[in-house]
This record gives sequence, structure tokens and C-alpha cells, in this order.
Amino acid sequence: MLQEFSYQAPTTLKDLYSLLKKRAGKAVILAGGTDLMVEMHNNWIAPEMLVDIKKIRELGEIKFSRKEGLSIGATVVCTELIKDKNVQKYYPLLADAAHRIGSHQLRNRATIGGNLCTASPCADMGCSLLALGASVELGSADGVRIVALKDYFTGPKKTQIQKHEVLQRIIVPIDMANAEWGMRKLKRIKGHDLALISVAMARTAGVMRVGIGSCAPTPVVTVDLPASASLDKVKEATFKAVSPIDDVRASKEYRLFMTGEYVESVYAELTRGRSRK
Amino acid sequence: MKISLKVNGRKYTRDASESKNLLHFIREDLGLTGTKEGCGAGECGACTIIMNGRTVNSCLILAVEADGAEIETIEGEAKNGKLSKLQQAFQKNHAVQCGFCTPGMIMSAKALLQKNAKPSVEEIKAAIEGNFCRCTGYQQIIEAVQDASGQLKKKGELKRA
Repeated sequence: MLQEFSYQAPTTLKDLYSLLKKRAGKAVILAGGTDLMVEMHNNWIAPEMLVDIKKIRELGEIKFSRKEGLSIGATVVCTELIKDKNVQKYYPLLADAAHRIGSHQLRNRATIGGNLCTASPCADMGCSLLALGASVELGSADGVRIVALKDYFTGPKKTQIQKHEVLQRIIVPIDMANAEWGMRKLKRIKGHDLALISVAMARTAGVMRVGIGSCAPTPVVTVDLPASASLDKVKEATFKAVSPIDDVRASKEYRLFMTGEYVESVYAELTRGRSRK
Repeated sequence: MKISLKVNGRKYTRDASESKNLLHFIREDLGLTGTKEGCGAGECGACTIIMNGRTVNSCLILAVEADGAEIETIEGEAKNGKLSKLQQAFQKNHAVQCGFCTPGMIMSAKALLQKNAKPSVEEIKAAIEGNFCRCTGYQQIIEAVQDASGQLKKKGELKRA
């Protein structure tokens, strides 16, 4: 048995907002549960209330429009993102990144929104969404605000979300649709494992970005580089963005070395036009 | 909280504690102890069940979240005392040693075969990536799934994965 808590499953955003406002700091949002249930199992946290948001229909939608781009609802799980036709067609980097998360059992349950809320430095969706210039929409009884993902992560497991707010969707801009892309994730074993480092690159006619995971206190991204930027410039911007540490999984030197290797190999892939589009 | 769910085709309605996970609910409240608890933290896959057509770690789900769900567990495999084709393939190919991972392993293999009748070795490996086996070294399990899908060559011709 887990610690005692009360369970609420509101069916509308309005009910969710008022619940979060009333119980700010006491209520914890439950989406896929693949991180939260582990934290509770290990007695790292003991929330008074769990607010299950999976019964709020609009949070489960993936939408694509030529005006806004891609909208990923907070409760969309990895498997749904991977299978989505518009994601496969316009943002294949995201399908590839989601496929690299955990195992089948975890991808069938883990949400993209939850991955960003746990905000681990190695969040698999972090570097890919950063490379695509994504934003998150945070909602509460006070209104809705949109935060660029590059400003959203504030530290390991820390974000800009306030206690009475919910991450309700992720927005990937239309100008990044059909971007050339490439991704690498370094793991210790072939099977499901956390990233030692991960690198995701996206390039359109107007911009190139590299998103890097497990190489700083949060997933990070380079400044916007011109599409024509040379490999040296891309590497320079990458090393400026990262600040890795030694930990149980890898040393600082190894992380830096492999980040450089991956940037080189993905860059070459983009240049040869062999990027899977 | 009162919940209703279907497990292996049978409908159950029970009062579930909110702080109980689905794994413990299935084992303790429904008495279906085939599904095992390994790590309890979503790493090992021993508690794998099929929920609404998808494999999940039942230790990472609250029982109350499964209200209205359709669930398949290892108990749904054998019919009238006869092992399913997949179970027979596991037995025949020595894919079971201590047996602790087997109920979850079979659920993952079953979900794979439902989607892909003739999976390649690589596809089988990917499908059981979330199920740890500490006895067999996986080779016999992969062969069992190949056998169950009618793809196992004679032992002499086997290309070891």
C-alpha cells in the first residue's frame, strides 16, 4: 500500500483549476504516473491529494494546424505521439525521441507533458522539443500563459510551473514542420535505460538548433543558428550551452566528448541530406 | 472508491482503496496471483498486464485508474486446463527457469503477436525490452516467441541472436 492520499479526477479544466487553487501545494497532478508512482513507492514524496487529469478530454488531444503547428495535450502518451500521422509527417523527430523513452510498458503510459513536468536533466523529450523551438501552455484559475520551453526549465526537476498551475499542452511551431533532423541517445545498455547524453538537431531553411540532454542541470538548447552555420560554429554553440558534471552514469569528459561526436555525426547526416524526413 | 473492470473477460466490481496500486488490487482483491511484483517501480516488467490492448506495468497504476478498463493477465491464457500456444512454446523451448518473469514476459509477447504475427528477432527483442529475466539470458525466450509464431528453424540451423 502507498501512503494515504485522496484521489480526485475532475472532468473539466474549470474544475481542475479550482481544485488546484484550493489545494495549492497539497495536490499533485497525476498523468501517466510512471514517475510519480515511483516517487511515492520509494517514499520520496507523500502528497495529500492526487489529481488525475486523464478524464479531461481536451488534454488528451493531438492537433495539427497550418496556423499554429502541433499541439500536444498534457495526457498524450508516447505511444500515441509515435503513431500520430501528423507527427510522423511533419515532426518525425518527436516520434523518434518518444520511441527512445523507456520500454513499451512505459511508453504506453508515460505522457509527453509529464516528461516535461518531471523535468529531469535527461528528459528524453526535452532536447527534441527544444530543438524544435516548442513552448508550453500553463493554465490556472488566473488564466493561461505560454512559456518558451528554453525558459521553462529552471533547474534539475524544477520548472516555472506554479503550485496552482497545470501544464495543459505543448505547442510546436509550424515553421519547424518538415525540418531536417537527427537524434542520438547514448545509453549504457541496448535496452531501456536513461540517457548518458542525448543530442537532437533540427534545421529548416531559416534556423538550426541543437538540443542537448543530460549535459547540464536541465535539458538545454543552443542559440538560434543560421541554417548555413558551419560545423565549427554549431559545435561552438553546443559547448557554450552545456555544463556537464561527473555522476554515477558518466564523467564530465566523456559527456563532452560524446556530445561533440554526436553533433558531428548528425551534422554530417543533415549535410548529406540523408536525414529521415 | 467503487470500481468495475473486466479481467480476462470476467467482470468484477469492488471497493478499491485509493492508495492501492493495480498490481496489488489484482493479486490481493481479485486473488489473481499469477501477475508478479518484482521491483515495484516500473523497471523489471514482472507485473506486466495488458490494459485496454496495451502492455503496462501494473505497479505504476492506481487501482482506481483502472475503473472501466479491460485487462488481460496470465490467468487468461490457459483454457480448460490446456496451455495457450504461447505458453506451450515457452515450455517446449525452455524459456522458463525460475518462472518469476514469465507471466509478464508472456503478456509482452502476446501483445507483440497480436500486432505482428511474424516478428523478426529484433522486433521480439524490442518487445521484451521492458521485461527482465535473470535466468535464461533471453535466448530461449526469443526462440519461444519465434516458435509460437511458426518461425523457429530446427535447432541445428538456429542462428543465435
